[in-house]
Amino acid sequence: MKLSKPARDVLETSLRQNRIDARERKEIEALIALLPADRVLFYKNVVSNPLGDLYRYSIHIRIQHMLIFVTFLTLAFTGLPIHFFDSFWAGPLNALLGGVSVTRIIHRTIAVIMILAMAYHVLTLTLGTLARLKAGTFDLRRTIVPLPKDIRDFKEDLLYFSGKRGQRPEMDKFNYKQKIHYFAAGFGNTVMVVSGSTFLFPELWAAMLPAGMVAHWQELMRLSHPHEALLALLVIAFWHWYNVHLAPGRFPMQWTFLTGKITREHQIEEHFLEYLRNLVEQPQERQALLGMLESRELAGGPPADEGVP
Amino acid sequence: MKNRQSNVGRRALFGLALFLLASAGARAFEDSEGCLVCHKYPRMGRITEDGVLRSYYIQPQVYGKTVHRNVPCRDCHTEIKELPHKPVKVGVTCNTECHSIKNPATGKPFSHKPIYDVYRASIHGRDKLATGLDADKPYCVTCHTNPLYNPAENEPPKQIVARCVICHEDKDFVTRWYNHTSRRIREVRRTPGEIVALCSTCHDDRKMVARHVQAAKADGRALGRKFAYAVDSYYESFHGKMTRYGFTAAANCLDCHADAANYFKGVHEIRPSRDPASPVHADQRLRTCQRCHTSADENYARLDPHPTSLRADNPFRYYAEWIYNVIGAVVITGLVGLALFETYRRRRDGVAWLLRHGSSWRRKSRRGRDRIK
Repeated sequence: MKLSKPARDVLETSLRQNRIDARERKEIEALIALLPADRVLFYKNVVSNPLGDLYRYSIHIRIQHMLIFVTFLTLAFTGLPIHFFDSFWAGPLNALLGGVSVTRIIHRTIAVIMILAMAYHVLTLTLGTLARLKAGTFDLRRTIVPLPKDIRDFKEDLLYFSGKRGQRPEMDKFNYKQKIHYFAAGFGNTVMVVSGSTFLFPELWAAMLPAGMVAHWQELMRLSHPHEALLALLVIAFWHWYNVHLAPGRFPMQWTFLTGKITREHQIEEHFLEYLRNLVEQPQERQALLGMLESRELAGGPPADEGVP
Repeated sequence: MKNRQSNVGRRALFGLALFLLASAGARAFEDSEGCLVCHKYPRMGRITEDGVLRSYYIQPQVYGKTVHRNVPCRDCHTEIKELPHKPVKVGVTCNTECHSIKNPATGKPFSHKPIYDVYRASIHGRDKLATGLDADKPYCVTCHTNPLYNPAENEPPKQIVARCVICHEDKDFVTRWYNHTSRRIREVRRTPGEIVALCSTCHDDRKMVARHVQAAKADGRALGRKFAYAVDSYYESFHGKMTRYGFTAAANCLDCHADAANYFKGVHEIRPSRDPASPVHADQRLRTCQRCHTSADENYARLDPHPTSLRADNPFRYYAEWIYNVIGAVVITGLVGLALFETYRRRRDGVAWLLRHGSSWRRKSRRGRDRIK
C-alpha cells in the first residue's frame, strides 16, 4: 500500500516522536508496503477480539464516561417530570421518586456530580496534554480538536455512502462524527450547568448582569435548559446509541467504554491513521498483523480503485 | 332471664341518654321569629325567570351547625317586615349590621362591614346585584363557601371541656366557643393549590377574560399586562409548576398580589398592578420579591414571574423559542438522516455479513472462517 500524503505525514510524525531507529523503520515501511490497498478487504479480514485489541481510552476517560452516562440519564429522568409537569406521565414519575420535592433534590445532587465529572475531565485533558508536550509526543491530529481535514473526511464519507468512492476516508483517532458529538456534549453540558445555575441562584445572576439583560437572560436560560436537555436526550438516543450499537459492524455494542480498547477491524476501518501509529508504537501488533496478512493472502494486492466501488 | 331483661332496659336507657347528649351538641337554632312555619317544608322554593330552581327549605339541624347559627334570620334578611313576607328584591348582603349579635370587643352591633368596605374598594369590589362586567367579579360567597363540615370543629377534647365548665358552667357555650376560636386559630386557609384553583375559576375562564379584554379595549382602559394569560403564564413559572405539585413554599397568586402586612385584609383589597398601592406595582415589586427571595435586588425584580412565549407579550422569548425549535429540528433531522443514509448505503459493505461475522458478538472473533473478497 502506498500511503496518502496525510497518512504519510502522520506516520513520519509518529516515527519521529517515538524515536524509531532505521532498522525498525525499515521493518515498518516493509509492513506498510504489504498492506492491501483495499482497506475494506483489509478490515474485514483481520482477526479481532470483540472486547478490543488496541488501546484507546485511559481509565480516567472511561470513569468520566461512566459518570456522565449515569448522571445524564438520571438528570433526564428527574428533569423531564419537572419540566413537563402537566403531562400524564409526570405525576406518576414524580410520585415514584418520592414527590417533586425529592425529585428536585435528586436532580440538583446529581447535577453536582456531573459538574465534578466535567472538572475531572478537563483536569485529565490538561494534565495529559502537558505530559505529552513534555515528552514530545503531542500530535494535534490525534486529539479531539476539529481540523480542516474533518470537513474533507465528512465530504469523502458522504461520497462513500452515496457510492461515489470506493473507500472510506482515512480518519484519525477521533473522526468527524466523534468530534461533533464531543463538542455538542461539551457545549450542551455547559449550557445545562449555566442555565441550571440561573434557576438555582436567580438572585446571584440578577446581581451580576446589567439591568437591561437580566430578564432576557433568565428567559433565555428558562428556554435553554429544557430545549438543550431534550436535544441532548434525542441526540443520545438517536445518534450516539446508533453509532455505538446499531451502525453497521457495531451491533450489538462496542466494549470500548468498559475495556478501553478498540477492535482491530474498527481501528482500520474508521481510524486508519491511528492504526498506523499503533503499528509504529507496538512491535507485537506488527507481528500479529504480518501473520494475518500471510495466512489470509492479503499482502500486496492490486491498488484500490478509489473511484467506482 | 330477669337479669337479661333488665340489661336490655338499661342498655336502652343508656342509648337514649347518648342520643340526647349527641343531639345537644348540634342543637337546632331557636326559631323565635317563626320562619320555619313555612321554611321547614322541603318543597319550599321557586323556579326563577332564568329557569333555576331556588330552594328556600331550611333544615334547622344543618343551619345550627353553620357559623351563622346564632344569628336570627331577620338580622340578615332585613327586608322581611311581616309574615307572610313580600317577594325579596336584594336579599342578604354581607355588610348588614346584625342587631342581635354584639361585637364583644366594641359592644357595637356585629357586622362584616369593615372588611366588606375594604373588598368593595378593591378591583374585585361589586354590589350584590351587579350587572354587566361587574357581574363577573366575585361576591363574598364566591370565595367564602363556608363548608358545613369542618374537621377543626369537632367536639373539643374532654380535658378542655372539663376545665372550662368549672367557671363557664354551660357545656354548650364551651363547645361553641372552642369551635369558634380553634377554627380561627388553626390554619383554615386554602392550600396554595386551592388558592390558584380558586383564582383560576374566573381568571382562567377564557370567555370571561376575553369579554373584559374587549371591553377595556373599547373603553380605552388599561388592563394588567398579563391579565389575558395570568393562569397559563403562572404555570409556566417555577412557582406554578411547584404549586401544581402541592409544594407549599412556592408563591401562589395571593403571596404576590395581596398586601402581606395583614394577609387576611390583603386578600380582600387586591388591586391592579398599575395601582401604586399594589404589591406588584413596579415600585413595590422588589419589596414583594424580597419577602421570599431575601437577597433579591432591583435587577431581580425585573424577572418575569408570568413568563410566556407569546409574540405580543414577549417577542424576545417568542423568537428565541422559534430559533431553538428550528435548531432542534434541524439537528435531529440531520443526524438521524445521516445515520439512516449511512445504514442504507452501507448495504454494500454487507450489513448481513457484518451481523453474522461482526466482531462484538462473542469473546471470540468469527472472522477466522472465510476470507472476504
